Amino acid sequence: MQTFTEKYDLLGCIQCGRCTGGCPVTVRADLNVRQFVNDAYDEDKLEELAKLAEIWDCTACHTCAVRCPKGLKPLEVLIGLRTMIVESGKVEPTVRDALQSVLLEGNPWEKSRATRSDWMEGLDVRIADPDEPVENLFFVCCTIAYDPRVRAVAQNMVKLLNKAGVDYAFLPEDESCCGSEVLTLGEEGLFEMQVEDNTEYLNEFKAERIVTLSPHCFTTYKTHYPDLKTPVVHYTQLLVDLLNDGKLSWKGELPKKIVYHDPCYLGKQGGIYDEPRELLKSIPGAELVEFERRRERSLCCEGGGGKMWVESESKKERLSDTRIKDAKELGAEIVAVACPFCVLTLEDSMKGLGYEEEMRVAEIMELLGELMET
Amino acid sequence: MGNVLVLAEHRQGALRDVSFEMLAVAPKIAEELGGEAVVLLMGSGMDDMAKKMTGYGLKVMVVDDPAFENFNAEKYQMALSALLDDLKPSVLMVGHTAQGVDFMPALAVEKKLPLVADVVELAFEDGTLKATRQLYSGKVNAVVAFKPADTFLVTFREGAVEAPEASAAGDVEKLDSPLKEEVPYRKFVEYVEAEVGDVDITQSDILVAIGRGLKEDKNLPMVEELATAIKADIAGSRAATDAGWIPHDRQVGTSGKAVKPKLYIAMGISGAFQHLAGMKGAKTIVAINKDPEAPIFTVADYAIVDDMFKVLPKLTEKLKELK
Ligand SMILES: Cc1cc2nc3c(=O)[nH]c(=O)nc-3n(C[C@H](O)[C@H](O)[C@H](O)COP(=O)(O)OP(=O)(O)OC[C@H]3O[C@@H](n4cnc5c(N)ncnc54)[C@H](O)[C@@H]3O)c2cc1C
Ligand code: SF4
Ligand code: SF4
Repeated sequence: MQTFTEKYDLLGCIQCGRCTGGCPVTVRADLNVRQFVNDAYDEDKLEELAKLAEIWDCTACHTCAVRCPKGLKPLEVLIGLRTMIVESGKVEPTVRDALQSVLLEGNPWEKSRATRSDWMEGLDVRIADPDEPVENLFFVCCTIAYDPRVRAVAQNMVKLLNKAGVDYAFLPEDESCCGSEVLTLGEEGLFEMQVEDNTEYLNEFKAERIVTLSPHCFTTYKTHYPDLKTPVVHYTQLLVDLLNDGKLSWKGELPKKIVYHDPCYLGKQGGIYDEPRELLKSIPGAELVEFERRRERSLCCEGGGGKMWVESESKKERLSDTRIKDAKELGAEIVAVACPFCVLTLEDSMKGLGYEEEMRVAEIMELLGELMET
Repeated sequence: MGNVLVLAEHRQGALRDVSFEMLAVAPKIAEELGGEAVVLLMGSGMDDMAKKMTGYGLKVMVVDDPAFENFNAEKYQMALSALLDDLKPSVLMVGHTAQGVDFMPALAVEKKLPLVADVVELAFEDGTLKATRQLYSGKVNAVVAFKPADTFLVTFREGAVEAPEASAAGDVEKLDSPLKEEVPYRKFVEYVEAEVGDVDITQSDILVAIGRGLKEDKNLPMVEELATAIKADIAGSRAATDAGWIPHDRQVGTSGKAVKPKLYIAMGISGAFQHLAGMKGAKTIVAINKDPEAPIFTVADYAIVDDMFKVLPKLTEKLKELK
């Protein structure tokens, strides 16, 4: 067995503090990730460290990993500690239920697998078949498949692909969770099993690329599935190619001030900053404005890292509130994102701050979908 | 022998409701079997509890042994194993509780006896005992027969039936402790109280849940009045806890709590996916929302499309009248 120190290369740390300096949640929680990297060296202390509530405040945004001059991933120490808690079974019932649902139904939302493709109802969708080669194989994501608030991302994508005459197919209902949140909740064993099962499943299909709708799936497949044969892209990459090939055109206009929020899983972790912006710039009438904290410095919305199932003890302002206030100051009428989780966090804050009349939070695919129809 | 042996459960010196509830079922079954229902109590310093259990006209057998001071599944298994040999009951009934499920499967394996778990009803049909259990969150009832055996084992669901009224006093018989040796594996370490706030909404029968539609905390007394009138606890969406109207431990949803009340009244809650996930276990859902398109109505059994501030006072008034 590897020790904690070996597994996370703790001796590589020079205690410079850039990780904690960049960590967005320090403004609202007691989390000091540098301290954890330091203290986890002492194996006798691990059990005590794992009991600290703040290990659940990390959103897995990866700011610390992006900034570490030694190439460490400080957040993984926190996740390793979560693993100890998960293994001891002392997790919140909400976390337990989400993990169990992934195991039994292939999604963390406690929804039946049989209804995974319900979002397709009434749409002319091409379904993937291992015997039929396809250029673009679409992976939907559990949240987009089940949460009615963000289903339009997949539904509009189908309409757009049909219209643009793209060679595509969506995975049938036996598509299973990529494990992004399982990994960050610390259920190592379950995640390993998912990687094995999904790799085998996806490798059966003959596709040129797998297109993911959620950046969480995108990053997880890219970084944690070494044996996946097919390259993985995010949908914004595919759409920019289609745009440049003249295959996409918009009918209406959207004369609004739009600010783009870089999702951590797409930007900091996936390295994709420009494609979403190009899509937004292609919208007739739209004016794209920028947050001061953008791209690598984008402020995390606190949607990832398993936060859907664990609430912070902190009563201080949510980062998504801060983000929406920043957008308000910029005079933005639309906060556009390319991630289902960012929609949920930012929209909740937008409503909570009472901006419902004058502001809208939307996934890019929601906006593009409307421009196809009008 | 035809007897039905009912194991009375207790925790921290108090008898659990299921101990009494099983007495609504056991005598009828015993009668069909030509035997009688007998209560078994195991613990340390059991006089008070034994007295309470005798109030139902049934014989109460008491094992009073300091070794049973704290619950230990292994000790229960060992003791029941010996008692089954001695008493040869036709049925052994135990609550389907954290305790019951801890030793009954092991006992069934050890004695090679058939066990039906989480039973909500026991009855005689065609001369044999049949147990009813529920599938798919209570949507389907399955009637299960036992394999032929000298003793049938049953764990009975809490709250499945009402406890009977107390009647005449029964006798108390003291048994020698069947526990003759130390158990090899399990040791009692400590009793950990569940950490709960003032109210544990996962245990509430009725919940009145508020959302962002409440607008401001000065509207809270209206909701409290309704809650008091129907003996409900107040819960809410994340929007309501974020606004500070109710404490965080009252939040229902994926990052809050999963609740399963008999009645859930949601007002001013849109019914976001993350909220619905926490309340889908509710038996009956009433939703009040002024937006007819609100997703909460997709799960509601009763829908009131109107301004909650108009509905609330009338609802409270009517419910008070009904009392
Ligand atoms: C990481 C994460 C975790 C989350 N976890 C949870 C969770 O555990 N639990 C949870 O609840 N949410 C959770 N959410 C938030 C969730 O996504 C929703 O934003 C939230 O549930 C909305 O709360 P609401 O329904 O009270 O508010 P809204 O969605 O704003 O709905 C308010 C409703 O009130 C109605 N209304 C307004 N005025 C009146 C009136 N006078 N009379 C009648 N109706 C009126 C409106 O029509 C509207 O439907 C989470 C979000 C994130 C990002
Ligand atoms: S940024 Fe890297 S090297 Fe610096 S303290 Fe954090 S983990 Fe250590
Ligand atoms: S991943 Fe983000 S939230 Fe977690 S420790 Fe690193 S910077 Fe902080």
